[in-house]
Amino acid sequence: MTPDTILSVDGLTVRFDASQPLLTRLVTRTGRRTVHAVELVDLQIARGSTFALVGESGCGKSTIARTIAGVQRPTGGGVSFMGVDIAAFRTRRASMRYRRDLQMIFQDPYASLNPRWRVGRIIAEPIVTHGLLKRGRELDLRIEELLSTVGLSPSDARKFPHQFSGGQRQRISIARALASNPAFIVCDEPTSALDVSVQAQILNLMRKLQQELGLTYLLISHNLAVVAHMADSLGVMYLGRIVEQGDAGQLLDDPQHPYTRLLLDTVPDPHAPNRSRTRLAGEVPSPLSPPTGCAFHPRCPVANERCSHEIPRPVRVRKAWVSCHAVEEARLPPSLPNMLDPLNNTGDAA
Amino acid sequence: MSTTDRSNGMIPSRWWDSDILYRFRRSPVAVVSGIVTIALIAAAIGADVIAPFDAFDPATANVIDARLPPGSEGIYGDIYLLGTDPQGRDMLSAMIYGLQTSLVVGLSSIALAAFVGVLLGLLAGYFGGMLDALIMRIADVQLSFPAILIALLIDGVTRTALSRETHERLAVPILIAAIAASFWVQYARTVRSLVLTERGREYVLAAKVTGVSTTRILASHILPNVLGPVLVIATINLALAILTEATLSFLGVGIPSTQPSLGSLVRIGNEFIFSGDWWISACPGALLVILSLSVNLFGDWLRDALNPKLNA
Repeated sequence: MTPDTILSVDGLTVRFDASQPLLTRLVTRTGRRTVHAVELVDLQIARGSTFALVGESGCGKSTIARTIAGVQRPTGGGVSFMGVDIAAFRTRRASMRYRRDLQMIFQDPYASLNPRWRVGRIIAEPIVTHGLLKRGRELDLRIEELLSTVGLSPSDARKFPHQFSGGQRQRISIARALASNPAFIVCDEPTSALDVSVQAQILNLMRKLQQELGLTYLLISHNLAVVAHMADSLGVMYLGRIVEQGDAGQLLDDPQHPYTRLLLDTVPDPHAPNRSRTRLAGEVPSPLSPPTGCAFHPRCPVANERCSHEIPRPVRVRKAWVSCHAVEEARLPPSLPNMLDPLNNTGDAA
Repeated sequence: MSTTDRSNGMIPSRWWDSDILYRFRRSPVAVVSGIVTIALIAAAIGADVIAPFDAFDPATANVIDARLPPGSEGIYGDIYLLGTDPQGRDMLSAMIYGLQTSLVVGLSSIALAAFVGVLLGLLAGYFGGMLDALIMRIADVQLSFPAILIALLIDGVTRTALSRETHERLAVPILIAAIAASFWVQYARTVRSLVLTERGREYVLAAKVTGVSTTRILASHILPNVLGPVLVIATINLALAILTEATLSFLGVGIPSTQPSLGSLVRIGNEFIFSGDWWISACPGALLVILSLSVNLFGDWLRDALNPKLNA
């Protein structure tokens, strides 16, 4: 762990019990079922940087975000924030300092604000909870300052959330997240529920705030354009594991892992609408029974025998770590062979 | 919701403010049932002032004046507008005092049921697991017994356990507890299901991330967002609770005959109905119908008015 690491995740594993009720299990003679949401994830986030996690729905991005935010207990491994293990907190009082320094922005701006609270009270909640300011003039001034910081009018404090648009609500969310002067903000898909035109405004606001306040972001997203715009470092997740992580520029320009390559191939390019792309066959396997070996091997165009039984260990490729046997064995072709689902293989390039 | 108050930047109306009042004024059923309900509640509160005679004072009853038809004149020249009962009590006064008892029992039992139900529903919904299973199984058991049976059971047990005087003195609280015991389940179930959807919403998560205590999350985030339906159930249940009290008093296990309630008055009159003394049962019966009908209609309207899906 380098000195400027603010958050480090070591061997994080989160599993959920998705079993049927006891009676059903007895009648149908099925066993317990476990969702392997996150498996042995390691990552380090440097102070003042933006670390983005990308991957398809259900790959475990949000679970990692919630674990880091302290609302999901890890099954194994640990998260240490500013050198303190957050799983070691036994009481709410012990975790208060960490909860003040770490805040979260949510995906759905229509669900993340209490509809019965006025905006001023919503933004004041972290301040009041941590006893940072007494109720009164000082608190009102701070709320007005926060509203101006995120580009809203100070008089908006007296309105209710339903009087704002999605983008404005997301600004309120950001103001609430900033209220306790945090060092770290977990952003769980902060723009995916917004209009494209508003997305850019929110992202630019987040960047501006990062520069002014020295914030560190963990950005969860499935939008590669957003990630390219924001991230310093990048982690690509597939079925609960990070398959490739490191410098964002390198990962986007020269991806190594077959999954990263195929994922980047899905990004539409307005300048080359007819370029040939490698299409990914099949679907993400169920996290209830993840494949043995490398989780990606059933869909991987370059998988071999070893991939199906041995989990790849991360290997260093310049400024990134890649977990892939093909990369390790240097047998990765420059362009991936097409592996279309034979049932849908109609040969069109649509 | 009107669209105008969204955009003009004024301090907005809460749902109980102008919108609902506007809709109230536009609905004749709501206005009439609301006025009748409020008038009856006012009459019950002001019973001492409004009633021509004190129904609790035996001195005002005169056995010679027993079972006089409505509009009769007593031996001391008193006019009995709605006649008298077998003890020579003025029916109108007895009904007004009976209304008081019925409303006190009805409102208190609903308040108690709502309090217990909302609390248990919040705990069951928020914490889940064993606590949820325990509370909901108790609720299921409770639901399989009719309200009357539970009230009869409680009455029987307390009658045996307590002396006659104590039981008479505690009749009203016991009745309230018995009715509440059979009504809390609805609140618990409704609140639990609402909490299940609310607790996963991101504003609750945001509060958790910030470190807000569980008690505060339940009290100031979740509770206000689940109270709307509770209010509606409470209004509709009020009529049901009043009727349950009347039924129990009619069966002789509710309010003792010494204290008038609408149900016990109907029971007293029941013995004389075939002698042609119809008013002793019919007058309190009619009042009971008017009371429960107006409360019910008002509750119905409130349910529709608070349901955003029905708002045109």
